[in-house]
Amino acid sequence: MKLSALISEDCSKAAVLFNSKKRILQYISELAHQKIPDTNQHDILDALLNREKLGSTGIGKGIAIPHGRLVGLEKVLAIILVNQQAIPFDAYDDRDVDVFVALIVPDGENKQHLETLASIADKLKSKVFCKRIRQAKNDKELYQVLVEFDN
Amino acid sequence: MRDTWQDTFLIRNKLGLHARAATILAQLSTQFDADIVLYQGDKSAPGDSVLALLLLESSQGKTVRVECTGPDAKGALHAIGNLIEDKFHEAE
Repeated sequence: MKLSALISEDCSKAAVLFNSKKRILQYISELAHQKIPDTNQHDILDALLNREKLGSTGIGKGIAIPHGRLVGLEKVLAIILVNQQAIPFDAYDDRDVDVFVALIVPDGENKQHLETLASIADKLKSKVFCKRIRQAKNDKELYQVLVEFDN
Repeated sequence: MRDTWQDTFLIRNKLGLHARAATILAQLSTQFDADIVLYQGDKSAPGDSVLALLLLESSQGKTVRVECTGPDAKGALHAIGNLIEDKFHEAE
């Protein structure tokens, strides 16, 4: 799956500035709620926070994939955020995190979820890709990097 | 001579090798003085890389081969095998 198809331009946020795990998850839940208005923003935030309680979604190298499951959702919603500074996120390699790829996933979707995770991992494993998304000055530039690396 | 141990394991948990499972496996891998590689079909991943593990897309019912090389190879294989068999500590 192409990342630029999974993540829309209005879900690509470059150079944001949040200073804690809680604040960034709140922002993700706000954005997600705007995209799927018939969901409750608190439910989204709760799903994200509950997942973090099970273990950090910091997957190393300054990257985290916060995600949560929602009942009744039609399809996965993905959001990419690049924070201006790395913040503590309890990642397993102890590195602070500045790249966030958030997923709001339909409950019960398991195999498709693994495919989505693999599509994201496929891009994030590239150091050049990570460098380019960290350098993006605005949302449009960030989305263009996604498009460029899909082709 | 380097000590290599390997075995195959069935992914039993419903969610497969998803993000949390991959993170637990990576954390465990770093605790051993051994090179750990997981193989599934034509794909492979170092045990200590969450990103690489996610790329395996190991869903429930898939078989993975775990190969460990180094001083702690035997212990590493035992621990990782137990984790997979124990469904990554998940209920289903």
